[in-house]
Amino acid sequence: MEELFTSAVIVGIFWATLRIATPLLLAALGELVCESSGILNLSLEGTMTMGAFAGFYVANETGSILAGLVAAGIGGAFLSLIMALMTVTAKVNQVVAGLALNILGLGLAFFWYRSIYEAEGSIDIPTVETMEAPFEFFPIPWLTILAFVMVPVVWVFLYRTKYGLELRSVGHNPEACDMRGVGIISRQYVAVVFGGVMAGLAGSFLSLGSTGLFFPDIISGRGWIALAIVIFGNWRATWVLVGSLLFGFLEATQLALQASDVDLPYQLLLALPFVLTIVALVFNRSRSNVPLSLTIPYHRGER
Amino acid sequence: MTDRAPSETQAPEGGGRRDPLSMLFQSGAWRFEKRLVVRPWHEFLTLVAALVVAVGIIAGLVLVIGKSPADSFAALYNGAFGTWESTLETLVQATPLILTGLAAAIAFRAGVWNIGAEGQFFAGVMGTWFVYDLWGGLPAPLLFVLMFISAAIAGAAWASVASGLLVRYGTNEILTTVMLNFVILYILSYLLAGPWQSPDTFYYQTVRMADTTYLPRFVAGNRLHWGFAIALIAALVVYWLIRRTTLGYEIRGIGSNVVASRYKGIRVGTVTLATMAISGALAGIAGAGELLGLHHRVQLDIAEGIGFTGIIIALVARLHPLGVIVAAILFGALVNGSTAMQYETGIPKALVFVIEGTTLALVLIAAMVSRYRIRKAG
Repeated sequence: MEELFTSAVIVGIFWATLRIATPLLLAALGELVCESSGILNLSLEGTMTMGAFAGFYVANETGSILAGLVAAGIGGAFLSLIMALMTVTAKVNQVVAGLALNILGLGLAFFWYRSIYEAEGSIDIPTVETMEAPFEFFPIPWLTILAFVMVPVVWVFLYRTKYGLELRSVGHNPEACDMRGVGIISRQYVAVVFGGVMAGLAGSFLSLGSTGLFFPDIISGRGWIALAIVIFGNWRATWVLVGSLLFGFLEATQLALQASDVDLPYQLLLALPFVLTIVALVFNRSRSNVPLSLTIPYHRGER
Repeated sequence: MTDRAPSETQAPEGGGRRDPLSMLFQSGAWRFEKRLVVRPWHEFLTLVAALVVAVGIIAGLVLVIGKSPADSFAALYNGAFGTWESTLETLVQATPLILTGLAAAIAFRAGVWNIGAEGQFFAGVMGTWFVYDLWGGLPAPLLFVLMFISAAIAGAAWASVASGLLVRYGTNEILTTVMLNFVILYILSYLLAGPWQSPDTFYYQTVRMADTTYLPRFVAGNRLHWGFAIALIAALVVYWLIRRTTLGYEIRGIGSNVVASRYKGIRVGTVTLATMAISGALAGIAGAGELLGLHHRVQLDIAEGIGFTGIIIALVARLHPLGVIVAAILFGALVNGSTAMQYETGIPKALVFVIEGTTLALVLIAAMVSRYRIRKAG
């Protein structure tokens, strides 16, 4: 145990925390904006997988990580546009639509991955270069920095701009907004697509930011954890940041434990984030800030 | 932070202004209007239209990767229903899907979003193995009964973790059931790497079960086992339960209106717990059936998305227990046919997930379209 408390390990855990928190933070901030407009997008897992694959594919083809990131954002936007079409325009049940798109996103990513890289039995899976850290003394990739910058940006957007206020109003009371002439549909589309772009970027961090690889279960539950972080964070940007860092820290500690000679079955350590998510959801039951019309479709002129 | 609820704050200024985006989407020219009566043929037409569009999209996707859609659909169909053997194999694939489809259907009927059929399936597999490990020497009929009961209890127990938290603490069951899927997979992975691991291998698997525990088969030389009959019986039981019993009435009640049900005196918590227990038990039985009917040893890849496909099946079947049978056979055909398609045309099996997702999305949209009419606002 003692070797866990050396300064090198502690510093390592610190940087790892920031890295691991990155995809969770990006996806959770996007989902926060999305849910603020009253739309629950359950398809984060599938959207992140799409983003991870699109980013990987384009980065591999073009050799440019930036092009990969753009592709990841577009991939996420594409899937969330279908989400918006289903839930905002066609008013399909949001939970069900989210589940459908989850499978669609996973399926599209697997399908293209297998047809491009595993065609005719040959398995030739390339790796791409991963993102660089912009500063020497700061060993984190710039997408991580972007993720942390997005926290105040999202906060200011939601709480200090008129559009953000209108967006949250749509999430609480769409009828009142409709009477005031605030366009509900356009705001929900914007929010859902923003969430999709963020989820796409979050996914691409896993393929382009840390591993340089794509594999089908690359997201392995992080989309669902991001959804839990939004609930845990009581729909506030600052608490979403705290939640992401908390999970990042636990995961980083878990990895350090695996690397040390502490004798614990690694499977139980891997299960830990999921158990802790449940525990966090049980102990943090403050829902005072939940968008009141979350998951309730708005029909003009209906009660 | 100054995040008061918007209802307390002043309404945004400049009401009545329309921004360009909202003009594009809302445009005021079209609106949805609820139909008072949904005509069955209308529903049918939109469903057919949805399926046609789905086929079109999939064909386009196959074209994109440079294969012939006609050839691949033919390979898919032949793989699923081409011969007597492949048709029976389709039923083999449909067997667990009927059960997990029922598991999702009954929970969704109660408005409880059990996304954890995959995990409860594994709980059932583990429950079955647990009994086999303890009392494998018992006479076959008794052992079968014990194994299925244990699987059902294990599935129900795993589902009850989520429903217990939901009823006691109001914890979102969608997320807890998903998390529990991951948790049980890691627990099983631990068991298969340690206590349960077969001594003669380094794979994560148990020893092969004695052939006295194989579920009997309908036709010699074919894989279709009694699990299929169990699944059909389960569908009838669930149908009877939902339509003809008090519990079924209460399940439908809390599913359509929790508040009204509570006023009527339905104990919402108790019904939620019962529903989730039944749902988990069905998924657990699916696990026992797969283990005893097909695999005969516990492995980590025994589920292959059966739990998740069950959710889609339930939704495509509009949560109707007998519709689940039809949908499960269709999706079983898809799973079965895709193997032949991959073999013959080189198109990855993963296309099945795309087909599932596309079909579900379009069927859902179709269901809404048939319930609403789109009109030009006058």
